[in-house]
Amino acid sequence: MYMLEIENLTKKFGKFTALNNVNLQVEEGEVFGYVGPNGAGKTTTIRVLLGILQATSGTANVFGKDAWKDAVEIHKRIAYVPGDVNLWANLTGGEVIDLFVSLRQKSDKAKRERLIEKFELDPTKKCRTYSKGNRQKVALIAAFASDADLYILDEPTSGLDPLMGEFFVEEVLNLKNSGKSVLLSSHILSEVERLCDRVGVIMKGNVIKTGTLDELKQSAACADGKLPDSMEELFMRYYKVSEGV
Amino acid sequence: MRGNFDYTGKLVKFMLRRERIIAAIWIIVLVLFSVALAPGLETMFPDNETRENIILIYDNPIMVSMMGPIFDIDGEFTTGTIYAGMMLLWVMIAVAIMNIFIVIRHTRADEERWRAEVIRSLPVGRLSTVHAAMLTALIINTVLAVLTGLGLAATGTESMGFGGSMLYGAVLGASGLVFAAITAIFCQLSASSSGAFGLSFLALGGSYMLRAAGDVGNEVISLISPFGLAQRSMVYAENELMPLWGLLAIAFAFAALAYKFNSMRDLGQGFIPARMGRREAKKSLLSSFGLSFRLLKNSIIVWTITLFMLGASYGSIIGEIDRFVGDSPEYLTLVGLTPELLDTLSDSDKADMIVDGFGGFVTIMMTLIALVPLLMFALKPKNEEIDGRAEGILSRSVSRQKYLAGYVIIAFAMSIIVQLCTVVGLYGAAESTVREGEIGEVAAILNPFVFEKLLAANFAYLPAMWLIIGLAVFIVGLLPKAGGVVWGYYGFICFMALIGNIPDLLPAWLSNLSPFNFIPEIRVTNFDLFPAAESSAVPLIVLTGIAAALTVIGFIGYRKRDLITH
Repeated sequence: MYMLEIENLTKKFGKFTALNNVNLQVEEGEVFGYVGPNGAGKTTTIRVLLGILQATSGTANVFGKDAWKDAVEIHKRIAYVPGDVNLWANLTGGEVIDLFVSLRQKSDKAKRERLIEKFELDPTKKCRTYSKGNRQKVALIAAFASDADLYILDEPTSGLDPLMGEFFVEEVLNLKNSGKSVLLSSHILSEVERLCDRVGVIMKGNVIKTGTLDELKQSAACADGKLPDSMEELFMRYYKVSEGV
Repeated sequence: MRGNFDYTGKLVKFMLRRERIIAAIWIIVLVLFSVALAPGLETMFPDNETRENIILIYDNPIMVSMMGPIFDIDGEFTTGTIYAGMMLLWVMIAVAIMNIFIVIRHTRADEERWRAEVIRSLPVGRLSTVHAAMLTALIINTVLAVLTGLGLAATGTESMGFGGSMLYGAVLGASGLVFAAITAIFCQLSASSSGAFGLSFLALGGSYMLRAAGDVGNEVISLISPFGLAQRSMVYAENELMPLWGLLAIAFAFAALAYKFNSMRDLGQGFIPARMGRREAKKSLLSSFGLSFRLLKNSIIVWTITLFMLGASYGSIIGEIDRFVGDSPEYLTLVGLTPELLDTLSDSDKADMIVDGFGGFVTIMMTLIALVPLLMFALKPKNEEIDGRAEGILSRSVSRQKYLAGYVIIAFAMSIIVQLCTVVGLYGAAESTVREGEIGEVAAILNPFVFEKLLAANFAYLPAMWLIIGLAVFIVGLLPKAGGVVWGYYGFICFMALIGNIPDLLPAWLSNLSPFNFIPEIRVTNFDLFPAAESSAVPLIVLTGIAAALTVIGFIGYRKRDLITH
């Protein structure tokens, strides 16, 4: 059984097709990288998986259950970090972390304190005073402090500095070592390269390639057989192909 | 400092562009409202005699404290003076609210969302944003003032000449500008837009109360309030210009002070420092209901106290109710006391009838005010959703229904709390201020209110309040982007409650669109000489049924739709 499985998923907003026949699977214990340019449909896919948006057609299952109908049941075993973290101006970071964790399970105090210290967050400050990076830390700490089976991370490090980004990688590797599954949408290709077992590339609502990094590099080989030597180069080739260049 | 105001012009253009729809709606609604009522007033009070009668009703401390004074021209009242006396204050309050929104939207709120940072990084002056916001307010207020003035003059009402009409508009705009400037100051002091909102509305309420205190007591106190000062321009009577210059000078001085404060602080900071909070959440926060309660807690406390105080202030004037009897036979007629009846009734019965009429009026007013927090609470999940915070909760193991219920339950529970506050305030104040023999010369009793009856009269409005909450839930569930509809309907109900009871002014079907039209008037005293109009519980049950249906449909819709995402 896959941890999550998307089949022929299409999502339309009016006339605009945000997702077009998307197919994806994430296996147990796997870190799956989901990459693509802004507006390609990464966040929309995740929101369908979370039951925030309803699929226009096709199916999205998590733990074998329907993402829309069984959302509450599924969420008990998921930890999610959104790309754009919006918090309550009047609550402190510490309060929000406790709230987020407790809406799933009992919180683990030691874990929480370790993470707050590691990510250098001042949990006594009101959220209105937090920068984007600090708001992201709140969501990350809440996610890592939870004991979930599947972690859905949507561009979780876009506001973090490189050192914090490194801590993030460490924590994801921890999850991987303890057999957890992760869906990681990211722009930061070095992160994907280091963490992900398999990668899906989405452009303009279409998943154009799925596979291990090596497989992706092979498929993007130039006419002279030269493989792209970085994720950046790989990505640019796909991008040019999709733009018809 | 050089360059403090660079590119203000461009910012003004940008702000006006962002304002173009909202400001246009405000201006159109306010101008239409102002202009439409003038001819009606002329037909309602065509001659001196009818005008004197209405003045008699108005000339008592309760009315003056609510509406302000109506001025005369050498002892004579005209349609114009009555219009200014009845209308100016309310329209000024609306304009003040408009200005508070404009200034906060373009200064503190932008800063809070880190938009101001982008603007500030451009070659824009340090004070340009606040200056541009003030200029934007100036332009919008000027347009409003000129259109209102021209519109009123164009009605051709004899007693509302061109000069007076333009002064009316000008005073309106100038008082709005004062509140724009006051808000600009609070936007510097407070580090959050919600803080600035709170302080600005406190200033608005304070101005209203100061004016009320001054109008029935020492007039000098009224002059401290922008509202009181504006009313002293005696539009359509003496047409005094000094208050207008006064208002403009105050606006100018406050704006200068705001600029000074602005130049003294860092972006994103305020003078009232942000307090440190809890490191860990209290247990009570740790559920979706706990969160909604926490987010609404301050509002619940503030509104509970406000409604209690308002109820108490109405209750405390019961002892003064003899002014009605002494000065205003028309009021007696209004509550059903004809001269023939007067002779046959005992003094305490007369007092009861007077208090009954007053109680009915206060109940409607208080219910209208109490609806404001109820609608805010019921619409809160929609705002949470649009601001992207609902997603944070709904992506955890919280169902849509449970999440929505967290707010809806509070709104419904609050409806009972607010009505209870009114009743306790009214009754308690009457109980503690009315002494034996104090109700004028007509009665020698203590507190005329009967608690159970007062409670029944106020609770009778609950089904109507629930219907409006139900509409809000329906909108949140099905049409979350149309929250304005709920406020529009609320405005309509206010309008109907205030002028809808003037006989034959409006068609019956229009009146019947307001749920208040179906609420029976329940006597609040022991008066039982003749039976009250036949009332049945059927309309209340029907209203409750509609409220329940709207709420259920709202919940179903909320479960079935996509969340609003960006």
